[in-house]
Amino acid sequence: MAFKLQRRSFLQLAAGTAASIGPLISRASAAASDAATIGWPNDVPSWDPNQRFTPDAQPIYKAVFDQPLDQNPQLKVIPHLIRSWSLAPDALSMTVELRDDVTFHNGDKMTTEDFRYTFLERIKSGIKLDTANSWRKVQDIVIESPTKATMKFSLPDPTAPQWMAFLGSYVVPKKYIESGGLDNFLKKPVGTGPYKLAEYELNSRIVLERNDKYWGPKANVARITIEIIKDPSARVAAIQSGQADFTINVPVREAQRFQSEGNLAAELDPITRVILLNVRADLGFADKNVRLAAHHAIDKAALSKAFYGGAAVPLSVFATPGTPGYLPDFKFPYDPELAKQLLAKSGFSPAKPAKIGFAATNGQFPSDYDIARAIVQMWKKVGIDADLQVIEYAKYFELNRGNKLPEATLYSWDNATGDPEIFLGYMFNPKMPFSPWKDQDIGGKVLALFNVANYDKRIAGYRELERYAVEDGASMPLLQSVITVVHKKNLAYTKYGNGWVLPQTLRWS
Amino acid sequence: MLVTVAQLIARRLLAAVPILLVVSALLFCVLRLLPVDPAAMSLPPTATIAQIEAKRREMGLDKPLAEQYLIWLKAAIHGDFGRSIVFGREAGSLVAATLPATIQLAGCAMVIAAVLGVGGGLLLFHLRGTLFESVADFCSILLLSIPEFLWGLILLFVFGVVLRALPFTGEVSPSLPQPHITGFILLDALLIGRFDIFLSACRHLILPAFALGLAFSPAIMRVLRSSLFDVYHEDYIQQARLRGLSERQILLGHALKNAALPTLTLAGVQFGILFSGTLLVEVIYSYPGMGNLMVDAVRNADLPLIQAIGLTYCVVVLFINTLVDSLYLVLNPKLRVR
Repeated sequence: MAFKLQRRSFLQLAAGTAASIGPLISRASAAASDAATIGWPNDVPSWDPNQRFTPDAQPIYKAVFDQPLDQNPQLKVIPHLIRSWSLAPDALSMTVELRDDVTFHNGDKMTTEDFRYTFLERIKSGIKLDTANSWRKVQDIVIESPTKATMKFSLPDPTAPQWMAFLGSYVVPKKYIESGGLDNFLKKPVGTGPYKLAEYELNSRIVLERNDKYWGPKANVARITIEIIKDPSARVAAIQSGQADFTINVPVREAQRFQSEGNLAAELDPITRVILLNVRADLGFADKNVRLAAHHAIDKAALSKAFYGGAAVPLSVFATPGTPGYLPDFKFPYDPELAKQLLAKSGFSPAKPAKIGFAATNGQFPSDYDIARAIVQMWKKVGIDADLQVIEYAKYFELNRGNKLPEATLYSWDNATGDPEIFLGYMFNPKMPFSPWKDQDIGGKVLALFNVANYDKRIAGYRELERYAVEDGASMPLLQSVITVVHKKNLAYTKYGNGWVLPQTLRWS
Repeated sequence: MLVTVAQLIARRLLAAVPILLVVSALLFCVLRLLPVDPAAMSLPPTATIAQIEAKRREMGLDKPLAEQYLIWLKAAIHGDFGRSIVFGREAGSLVAATLPATIQLAGCAMVIAAVLGVGGGLLLFHLRGTLFESVADFCSILLLSIPEFLWGLILLFVFGVVLRALPFTGEVSPSLPQPHITGFILLDALLIGRFDIFLSACRHLILPAFALGLAFSPAIMRVLRSSLFDVYHEDYIQQARLRGLSERQILLGHALKNAALPTLTLAGVQFGILFSGTLLVEVIYSYPGMGNLMVDAVRNADLPLIQAIGLTYCVVVLFINTLVDSLYLVLNPKLRVR
């Protein structure tokens, strides 16, 4: 803790001083129009894009590989390697038509053989791939031509199109991997994406070179160097000093400071990430009045203002604005008086508070521990005495497995698709390890929705359930999180609703 | 002399076996007792509870701790330290890929610490009894109280952000390729005859190496000065004066040689600490070494990787201690007789 405080204070001083003298110092290496350097917080876990679901790595994978389907900046699923698709009414099969003009970086043509290999053959071969989980329902992929295939599912898979544009779903080259071996592929990955991997240093840097034979729109910047800079303060220093042209995930206060800088632009963009309280249905939260009071007592707008410069959107349901599951007309109000009344019904008051446990991470996402401390104070005012403890994110699942999480845990949930199944559905699915809420009522409703093939019916079901879960005190969404982006003013990028910063969208002006 | 040194190395090698066994067992037990779930961490977030349970059985996490350790030990003896949960690669190969960068950084830092330490120690000794002694003493204590990560931030701020004189991310300039021969970038650059890469790597090494070196030099300074004080009470110093040697000749020709022995011991101990100090400095400077990897491993509860890195630190410290003791034998003839 002492280290963090010293470091933080010092970097603030450092950056502030640099800001004042920055304009006096010209950068020797002016930005070239054919190259850009990005300060990125994490390395890719592997160059097999199917192997691990790491959200931070997705934009890098999307530069080198292509997904069958893509999302537009508003997160609508759009054609990509797949020109058109058709999900059967029972969601037990999906026919896809691939483009015929796509080649891998080594010159091999991409066909349905590669598609089948990616989504069936290599999964069945037993290689440890995270995609084995997301595509576990795939029974077969019947190839009808080099561009046409039909996926057969063992169970309804209504979100198959969404998953085609989500974590880990990148088409990899069958012939190249089978002939050269997986190790060779990991060392020299070959995709169909707008960039080729030119150089890679573990935990240090990734150099991408434009794929001039790309089937889609060519990338604007010819060479992208991604410097892996894990420390947020070091990323601030890198963009401040000009050693990086673009960076993300800097502290909110630094992003706000950069907004007034001459040559830098800084943004706080709301994304499809939700900050919420994961709650139990027993112990101190067995009483619905206490749960609802705890939710009504939280001033979400104040949290947003204090910790996210007001950019984080207060949420009433576990979905972000603009996504299919969002309920724009439903509001769960901040009402401390109502919270007191609810607590009074159960015999609690500020003088005789309800006692609960509360867990939060410290540093897992921006201002997490500070948000938790603020919530503790808000609860105290209405008559809830929360014992706050810090946990490591890695411990969360073990604690939940052992039923040892306290009544409430501050949590962050990322869902690049925006689909409600991957918000509320995954969270409350009793077969999944996320929620400490063990009541079968909501769990049963969620499991039923997993088998609804009709899109409209499925979305309507989730919208209804989201409201129900909040009114039952089972779901306590707080804020739509933000991503901080700092870049040179003359280096533009395309904003995506899920926070993707894609190298292929960077452009100098 | 060579026989004595060889005997020492043989003894140390024999002693290293039980030490490594104890350290590995301790590491293994402590890591397994942590309330983290390696099975859940190694599966995608979409995994069901049933799949996590199956993975736990597959990883042997349901077996008694002693049995788990023996399985791990058997594999480790054959060079298999397990697969990293995060990277999905052999933990041993990840350590091997990052160790050279850390050794290079720690080695350069040690040279800087030694040069500054010896120079500062001589200066402190030289200033004894003068008006500047207390000022120099204060400065050395001040230096001693600044940890390596704070030096890292100070240097980054001054030379990276304000003056923009030196790079502070990575090992080499983004515009230059990184050679891969031995893993030691300075050596590799010379081997392929790329002096531009060598210079760039040197520039990238300056700030992190100085951050570490500056943090560890004050201890050397103070021990050297203290040793010189002791040595100056010896008879041979008086005799040297009587022989008409100048103070400079006495200090550099006689006193320093003898005062160097305790300083060398300290430097050996310091190197072990310095090596583990690379962890924070590597993160601050985005330096692709083992410390940086360790931070990833700890953040993600990547137990096989933590275990492999922990053991590597232990081996490096044992190696350095043996090296220092060997040097001690070379420099001190009395020990050779014994």
